[in-house]
Amino acid sequence: MMNFWTKLQALDRRWIYLVVWLVVMVPLIFPFKIRPVATPPVQSLFNYIDTMPENKALIISIDYAPASQAELQPMLIALLRHAFAVHRKVGVLSIEVQGLGIGEDALRQVAAEFNSHARTNADSVLNGRDYVYWGWTTPYITVMLGMGQRIARVFPVDYYGQKTESLPIMKHLKNYDDAGILVSVAASAYPLSWINLAQTQFGIHLGCGCTAVSAADYYPYVNSGQFSGMLSGMKGAAEYEELLERRMAQTGMDWGLRRKGTEAMSSQAAAHLAIIAFIIIGNIAFFITRRRKS
Amino acid sequence: MRRRIPLILVLVTGIFGAVAFFIPHHSIQAADESMRNDVQRIIAAFSLVLGVGSILAHHFTKIQRRTANWQYSWVTVVTLFVSAVIGLFGGIDPARPGILPTHIGSFSFHMQTLYMNMMVPLAATMFSLLAFFMASAAYRAFRARNFSATLLLAAAFVLMLGAVPLGRMIFHPLPSFAEWILAVPNTAAKRGINFGIQLGILATSLKILLGIERGWLGGG
Repeated sequence: MMNFWTKLQALDRRWIYLVVWLVVMVPLIFPFKIRPVATPPVQSLFNYIDTMPENKALIISIDYAPASQAELQPMLIALLRHAFAVHRKVGVLSIEVQGLGIGEDALRQVAAEFNSHARTNADSVLNGRDYVYWGWTTPYITVMLGMGQRIARVFPVDYYGQKTESLPIMKHLKNYDDAGILVSVAASAYPLSWINLAQTQFGIHLGCGCTAVSAADYYPYVNSGQFSGMLSGMKGAAEYEELLERRMAQTGMDWGLRRKGTEAMSSQAAAHLAIIAFIIIGNIAFFITRRRKS
Repeated sequence: MRRRIPLILVLVTGIFGAVAFFIPHHSIQAADESMRNDVQRIIAAFSLVLGVGSILAHHFTKIQRRTANWQYSWVTVVTLFVSAVIGLFGGIDPARPGILPTHIGSFSFHMQTLYMNMMVPLAATMFSLLAFFMASAAYRAFRARNFSATLLLAAAFVLMLGAVPLGRMIFHPLPSFAEWILAVPNTAAKRGINFGIQLGILATSLKILLGIERGWLGGG
């Protein structure tokens, strides 16, 4: 018996890798039904965007690279869907140069979803009229401070090379005064830079979407009200998707859109349980072997 | 002189940046805006040239000296060159072509295709390995050896269970308790740590501005 617990403590890590692979893959292929319940930071961000004045735009800053796409892309998609569903203008930029393609992909996907259901030109979501993709420029201090004065000066051309001044949307989106909220979807510390530079100087309302591992860093700013709300990790995205689906159903937009955040929650739930089981087994083995040794 | 000029530049621009924050006069604000929008961007453009030059010099040296894994340096150099050429001249996607043709028959290699089919899977693969290492580390190292470790373990259990639907099924208030841990004890600790960090940053910034800390000049 002693041998068993000692062996268990020295278990080959490849067995652990195999279990992790299985608990991630199987629920991805056969997901179980999950109805997420929104936590206060998620509900708060959702309510803020939902009740924003009609003449105010949503600005989304893509502050992450493809490495974090699995966790953060569902947030970006949900935020874009929400803004377009409530007919708010959207401006998107990227502080991370590697995030440029992510923004292009998300905008193209969500615009296509809305355009495929549009009956009139007014229902459509058009580049330059309903949204603008400013792209990337450097350094980030210039971007965060400069956008408070004149966005077109910071981004003279958009991601597609069009002059930003010539876009109809830019007539209503000159600086932070025209934005209801700026949401930084980030896998880095950029949300804090948005607070330090954009909010402190220009008073813009901020929201934050972050990886689960960095959520603990941002709670002080949610509590202080500097972030109007926060989505943390896959769970935050799934909760937002749940709120959004109900909201869209209320306005007849029951389109059955894919909810990648919610779909991935099965996998995440199974992985969490597996890790908890690993910790319990590891500790049991540790205590038994220690007691017998002593 | 080689040391004095950079020190004077840092002192003047650093103090100006801080002062501009407190003086709303339009001349100061205009100068500040020009510094941010023009000067900083020019410096950033130079740093890009410096960065590319540095990475090329590093890898060409490796290739020349045939150091360990020198073959991979060719991969970096070729990838850098190809992606730069396609990014500059190839256009974003088929709807927005550039001056360089970026498709051979139905096979396209414009920027967005390269990005979605190479950059995204490669980066995601690297990052997803973390889950395997975390599980392995949790099994081997996460032990309730003493009171502090047990407390950490308990908090981790509550947070992990609170983050999944099963937590609510096991004990209904568990997600709220997990939220409380993040919003109250975590916030209290984080604020204390942040105060310390910010004071440290302030002190270091002042030391750099006043030329007391000169490590950034190089040369030891």
